[in-house]
Amino acid sequence: MEDNQMYRRDTLLGMSSILGTIAFNSMLKADDTQPSSLNIPPSASLLQPSFAKAKNVIFLMMEGGPSHIDTFDPKPMLEKLHLREFVREEQQISAMQSGKRYYVQSPFKFVKAGQSGADMAENWMHLAKVADDICFFRGCTVDSVNHPTAMYQMNCGNRFGGDPGIGAWVNYGLGSINQDLPGFIVLPEVSYPQGGSANWSNGYLPAKFQGTPLRAKGSPILDLTPPAGVSTARQRKNLDLIAKLNTEHAAKHPGHDELAARMDNYELAFRMQMQVPETLDISKEDAKTKELYGIGNDATDSFGRKCLLARKLVEKGVRFVQLYNGSWDSHDYIERAHGNLVRGVDQPIAALITDLKQRGLLESTLIVWCGEFGRTPDNGVRGGTAYGRDHNPNAMTIWLAGGGCNAGHTIGATDELGMEAVEGKAHIRDFHVTLLQLLGLDDNKLTFYHAGRFKQLSQFGGTVIKDLIS
Amino acid sequence: MKTSIALPFALLLSVAATAVSADEQTELLFVRRIAPLLHEKCLACHGNDEAKISGGLDMRTLASMLKGGDSETPGLTAGKPKESPLYLAVTRQHADWSPMPPKEADKLDAEQISWVKDWIAGGAPWLDEARMQAIAKAHEAKWSLEDGTVMKTSGGLSQEWSNRKYKPDGLWAYQPVRRPDVETRRQGDEERNPIDSLIAKKLPAGLEPAPAADAITFIRRASFDLTGLPPTPEEVAAFVKECGGEIQTKRVRENADTPSPGLIISLSSPQADKAIASLIERLLESPHYGERMAQHWLDVTRYADSSGFSNDYERGNAWRYRDYVVRAFNSDKPYDQFIKEQIAGDEIDPDNPELIIATGFLRMGPWELTGMEVEKIARQRFLDDVVNSTGETFLAHSLQCARCHDHKFDPVPTRDYYSIQAVFATTQLSERAAPFLPVENTNGFEERTYLEKTLAEHEAMLSRLDAVLLENAQRWFKDNAKDPTKWNTAVEAASKPSTRKQGPAKRLGVYSDLFSAARIALTNAGVLESDFPPKFVGFTPEQFGLERVARKGLERLRWELDRYEPYALAVYGGRTRQYKTIFTPLRVPADRMTMGELEETCVLPGGDPFGSGEKVKPGVLSVLAAAQKSPIPDSIEGRRMTFADWVANAENPLTTRAIVNRIWLWHFDQPIAGNPNNFGSTGKKPTHPELLDWLAATFVEKGWSFKAMHRIIMNSEAYRRSATHPDLKTLADKDPIGTSYAVFKPRRLTAEELRDAMLIVTGELNPMLGGIPNRPEINLEAALQPRQVMGTFAAAWTPNPLPQQRHRRSLYALKIRGLPDPLQEVFNAPSPDFSCERREASTVTPQVFSLFNGQSTQSRALALANRVVKETRSDEEAIARVFAITFSRPPNAEELQSCIAHWRDIEALLGEEVPAAQKPLLEVRRDAIEENTGEKFSFNETLHAYAEFVPDLQPADVPAHTRALADVCLALLNSNEFAYVY
Repeated sequence: MEDNQMYRRDTLLGMSSILGTIAFNSMLKADDTQPSSLNIPPSASLLQPSFAKAKNVIFLMMEGGPSHIDTFDPKPMLEKLHLREFVREEQQISAMQSGKRYYVQSPFKFVKAGQSGADMAENWMHLAKVADDICFFRGCTVDSVNHPTAMYQMNCGNRFGGDPGIGAWVNYGLGSINQDLPGFIVLPEVSYPQGGSANWSNGYLPAKFQGTPLRAKGSPILDLTPPAGVSTARQRKNLDLIAKLNTEHAAKHPGHDELAARMDNYELAFRMQMQVPETLDISKEDAKTKELYGIGNDATDSFGRKCLLARKLVEKGVRFVQLYNGSWDSHDYIERAHGNLVRGVDQPIAALITDLKQRGLLESTLIVWCGEFGRTPDNGVRGGTAYGRDHNPNAMTIWLAGGGCNAGHTIGATDELGMEAVEGKAHIRDFHVTLLQLLGLDDNKLTFYHAGRFKQLSQFGGTVIKDLIS
Repeated sequence: MKTSIALPFALLLSVAATAVSADEQTELLFVRRIAPLLHEKCLACHGNDEAKISGGLDMRTLASMLKGGDSETPGLTAGKPKESPLYLAVTRQHADWSPMPPKEADKLDAEQISWVKDWIAGGAPWLDEARMQAIAKAHEAKWSLEDGTVMKTSGGLSQEWSNRKYKPDGLWAYQPVRRPDVETRRQGDEERNPIDSLIAKKLPAGLEPAPAADAITFIRRASFDLTGLPPTPEEVAAFVKECGGEIQTKRVRENADTPSPGLIISLSSPQADKAIASLIERLLESPHYGERMAQHWLDVTRYADSSGFSNDYERGNAWRYRDYVVRAFNSDKPYDQFIKEQIAGDEIDPDNPELIIATGFLRMGPWELTGMEVEKIARQRFLDDVVNSTGETFLAHSLQCARCHDHKFDPVPTRDYYSIQAVFATTQLSERAAPFLPVENTNGFEERTYLEKTLAEHEAMLSRLDAVLLENAQRWFKDNAKDPTKWNTAVEAASKPSTRKQGPAKRLGVYSDLFSAARIALTNAGVLESDFPPKFVGFTPEQFGLERVARKGLERLRWELDRYEPYALAVYGGRTRQYKTIFTPLRVPADRMTMGELEETCVLPGGDPFGSGEKVKPGVLSVLAAAQKSPIPDSIEGRRMTFADWVANAENPLTTRAIVNRIWLWHFDQPIAGNPNNFGSTGKKPTHPELLDWLAATFVEKGWSFKAMHRIIMNSEAYRRSATHPDLKTLADKDPIGTSYAVFKPRRLTAEELRDAMLIVTGELNPMLGGIPNRPEINLEAALQPRQVMGTFAAAWTPNPLPQQRHRRSLYALKIRGLPDPLQEVFNAPSPDFSCERREASTVTPQVFSLFNGQSTQSRALALANRVVKETRSDEEAIARVFAITFSRPPNAEELQSCIAHWRDIEALLGEEVPAAQKPLLEVRRDAIEENTGEKFSFNETLHAYAEFVPDLQPADVPAHTRALADVCLALLNSNEFAYVY
C-alpha cells in the first residue's frame, strides 16, 4: 500500500477514528512485499495495554534551561566554594568552560517538602504542598549545549530538528479521543521558543500528527475565522458553491478518494471555526478555580490560564498538551530571573496537580516538567552580584507527576557540585522510552518507515528507567 | 605428505556433495546460519561488550549459553526448541520470554526462526573456530551461489563484517547499469517508445492501460510539470487547435451533459503527436522550466536563506546559489558537470564566480557556531552534514548510518565514511568574494536603505542606553558612598575623539559605549571590581531588553546587508582555523594554506568528535571503487575535484540511477525506486528495474541531458494516459498499490504551485527571474509573531512595499528556517532541515483555514474578479472567462447557472457598506520576557518597508458587483479542480 494512500482519508486535525492510526492501519489488509506496509505494525499490540495508567500528557516545557541547582537539587558545597575560581580538570568540550570562571552558590534556601522530604527551593511555596505527588529525576543527560538543538532533542529526540515531536508519536501510537480537536496541542508563549514550530513538528509522520499551536495572543489558530466583514451566512454560501463544484468534479473523476477527503475537510473546518473559541473559553470556570490557578494575579495570570486550559483540553480528550514557559536562560542575575520565573509558574502548576487530582484525572494524566538542559555550578566573568549560570547538558532535573509515575521519590543524583549526573544516569533517549512506556507504548515498536529506514523517537532505541515508574 | 593433507578436504567435499547425515546437516546449519545469525542479531548485547552483558546472558559459547542469564534458566535445551528460551524469544510470541532482538526492525524472519528451531532440535551442536572455518571453506562456492555474495570493500572494523554475505536483491543499486534490450517494434512498422515497452512488459495480465487523456488535461499536466504554472486560456486554445479541435469560449453550450469540443479531443492521432512534441519543446524553452526544476533540486539540497538553530542568521548570499541552479537547468547543463561544479567548483576554476557560487551546495545544511560550544564539535557537525548530504543528493545513499559503525545493512564500512569525510577535511566555510555576473539579477538592491534605517535606530538606542548607564553610575557612587574620581577620569578619557572607538572590531555600527570603555580601563588599571559600577548598572528590565535587541540586532544586520554585496555562500580549500564563535560573515583569509590545523581524518568510533581511530586517506565508497579513475590527492586542494570525478563518472551506477529516478518522480509523482535518497538494502526496491537502467543508460548516452529525458518521458504513451481508468475494478484488483502505470496518477499541486498558479490566473505574477529574495505578505499574525533567537528577538517579517515585488514566484520568497510561511508549510512545503526526497500531499484542516479564510487567497480572488470584469462585457462572459483562466475549460450550463446565481446572492448580501482599506503597519509593539531579569518587557519595532507600502487591490477599490464576483473566484480557487493536476 502506498504511503500517502494509507492516510488519504485522515482529514481531521484530530483523528477520524478513536483508534490510533497504527491500530487503524492494522485492520487494513497488509501487503508484505513493499516496506511501506511495515508502517503497519505486526499486531495491534500498540493499542494501549491495560497496565498503562497514563492516557494523556501535559508537558510543561521550561524553555531556556531551568537551573536544577536553584530549584530541586540543592548543592550546599557551593556555599563553601562561592566565588572561588573554578578549575577545569577534564577535556574542554564546551566553550563556556573557557576563561576565568567562579563557583556560584544558590541564592535560594532549600526546604524538605512533603512526607517524602523532597528537596525544593523555598520559593516553590505552592508546589511544596503537592511534593508527594512528584517524582524527581536527576540522572538525565542530553547532547547539546545550544538551545534549539537541545530543544529539538528534548522535544523530538533528534538534535537537528525535523523529526516528529513526542506528542506526534503519542498520537500516532494511541490516537486522539476527541474527533473534533487536534490530538496534540501546544500552548506557546507569545514569542515562539528557539527552534520555532519545528519543536512540535509531525516530522515524517503524517501531517495530522503535527502539534497545533493555540497562540497566546490574537487568533488562537491562524486564519481560524474569515476576514472581518465576512458573515457566517456568506461563508456558508461560499462553502456550498465549493461543494457543488467539487461534487460535479468528483463525478467526472471516479476512483480518487482524496477528492472526497478534501471536500469533507471544508465542512470540518467550518465546524471547528465555531467550536474552537468555545473550547478555549475559560470564563465559565468558577471563581474558586480561577483563583486556584492564580488567574487575575499579574504574576501568575498568563501561565495560570495555560494550565487551566490544559486541564480543560485533557478533559476533552486531547492526548498531548505541551505548555511553554520562559525563557529560563538565566546567564545573569539568577536570583531575580529565576525568582520571577518560579513565581510565575509555581502556583499554576501546583493548581494543575491539585485540580487534576480532585477531578480524578491525575492517575491518567502524566505531567512532565523539564527544560532542554540544566545549568552550571559556575559562571564566567560576571563576578559580583550579576551572576547567573550557563548551559549544562550533563545535569538537570526533570520531574513527573501523575500517570503512574513513581511519585514521592527522587531518582538519580548529580555530583556534589551539580556539574554532572553520577547516579541513575540516563540519556534523554532513555527518558523518552520511559515516557512512552508510561503510556503503554513500546518505543521499539512505535516505529515509522521513512526514507528507507525504520525510525523511532529514541533514534536508536533506549532503556526504560524503571525507577521512574510506580 | 601432500596427499594426506588434502585427503580430509577431499572427503569433506565429497560428503558435502552427496548425502549427509542429519547430525552433519545440523553442523552445517550452525556454520552457515546460526553462528552468523548470533553475531548479527545477538552478540551486540550478549557478549561483545564483556562489561555490559544484557540480562546476564553471554551467548559467545555453548557453555555460557547453557548457563543462562539472570533468569537462571539455560538459554536452550538441546533437542527441545519449544523448551528453549532462545527459540521462544525469537518467535516473539511467548508470554514469559520477551521478544528478541528487542527492536521490531531487527526481528528474525520466518526462515531464520526455522533455522534456530532446526538447530536446537538437531542437538544444538557448537563447533570450534577451526572446524567452522574448514567447513565454511569447503562449502564456499556452493553457499555463496545460494546465499549471496561477499562484497569487496575497504574492510569493516571486524572480519565478520568484511566477510558477510549480501543477498543479491539488496545490492541492485551497486550493480553496473545494464541497458536492457528493448523490443520497440509493434504491429506494422510503428516504433514504440522503449519506456512503453518496458512498462507493458510488467503490466499485470488482464489489465489494459487507460486511454490517452484529453488535450486540455494534457496541456495542464505538461505545463505544471515543466514550469509549475498552468497554461493560459490562449495556450490551451492553441494546443487544442493543433490537436485538431476547438474550444468554444464565447458561447456556452446549452446542454450540460455534452462536453464542449475541446474536452474530448483525442491525443491518439499523428496530429496530436506533433502537437505534443511541439508543446514539450515550447515548455522546455520557457525560463520557468528552470525555476520548476530548481524547486525540485532545492528540495533535495535543503535550500534556505538562513542558517537555522540558535541565531538563525540570514545567509545573505544564498540566493545566488538558488539562481545558479535555475540557470543550470535552463541551459540544460550536463548533469555530470552540474555535479562537479557543486562539489568542487572552486577547485575547477577559482576565478569563475559561477563556479564559486555553485559550491553553495556544500553549505546548504543548517549550521552554527555559538560561544556556547567548542569549534571541534561544530566543525564535525559540518563534516557529517556535508558527507551525508553528498551521499543522499548524488548517490541516493544515506551515509550517516556508517558514521558510528560499519553499515548495518549495506556494504559501507565506517572507514569509507571517514574516507569521504577526509575529502572535505580541507573544505572551509566562507562567504567568499565572487563578482556579480552579467547574467545575475541585481535589481532591487536599493531596499538596503530600510535595513540602514534599522541600523541607525539600533545605534541611537545603544548610545542612549550608554548615557543612561553613565547617569546610573553616578547614582551608584553616591548610593555606595564610593569615590567616583577614577571613574570620571576614565569616562572623560574614553570620550575624547582620539580614543573614541567604534563598536568592537568586525561588528557593525557606530555608537557611544563609554560605560564599557570606562569599566575596561579601570579593570586594566587594577581597580577592584567592587569599586566601580557593575555591568548594566541600574538597568530596568525594559532597558536590559532594549540593549540586547539593539546590540544583537546589529549583529543580525551584518548578515542581511551582505545580500547586496558581491559575495557567495561558498567554501575554500585550506587549513582549519579556530573560531570561538561565528557572528559575522567569513571571508577567505590570505593565509588559508598556512594558518591553522591541517586536519588529519581518522575513524571516530561511535561518531565521537573527540575520538581517534585509524587514520584514513581521502577516498570514495570502496564498493564502487571501479568507477574511480584516479586516486584522490592528499594536498589541500584538489580532493573534492577528484572525488567529484568519481561521483560523476558514467560507471558510477548510484549516480546515474539516482538522477533518472528523480526525473521520473518529477513526472509521474512516484519514483521507480521508492526512496530516491536511499538505494540501500532497506530502501524500497525499484518497481521497474529494467526501466530504471534503461533510463540511466540513455541519460548518459544523451550527454547527461535533462531536457533529453523530459522529451523521451513526456512523449511516451505512459505519460499521456488518462488519470481515470475505464475499469476501476480490474485496476484495483490487478494493481492495488498503483505501480503499473496503467493509469496516470493525479497529484495535488505543491504549496508553491498553488500560490504561483493563483498569482498567474489573477495576472499579478511578476515573472522576473532570480535575484535577491522577496518577501510576500504572509499571515500577518505570523509575520509579527515575536521570534526568539539567541538572547533576543528576530525582526518582524516585513513584506516588500510594492505588489510587483511581492508577487514573484514562490521559489524566490525569503526562506527563513525559523519562520516558515504558514500557507506554504500547511501545504507540505518541506522543512529545509532535512533533504526532501519526495513531497507529501496531506489533507489537514489548517489548509482550509489558510486557503479559504486567509488574506492571501481573498486578495487573489478579488484580483481575479477585477481582471475578469475588465476583460469581459457580460456576467455570463465573465464566469466563462473565470473558468477558462482557472480550470482551462469553459463552464457547463449548470456551473454557469450556479455561479451566476451565487454572484447575485452575494451581491445582495454585501449591501451598501464599503469595507475599510488595509492600513500599513508602521510600528509593532512586542511583548516578551527579558532574559536577564525574567520579567516582562515590551519594545516597539519600526517596520520601515511599510512606509512605502502599496497594498494589493482592496475591496474598497472596486464596486460591489466585482466584490461579489470575488466570492465566486474564491470558491473556484478552493475547488479540487484547481488544486489537482490530472
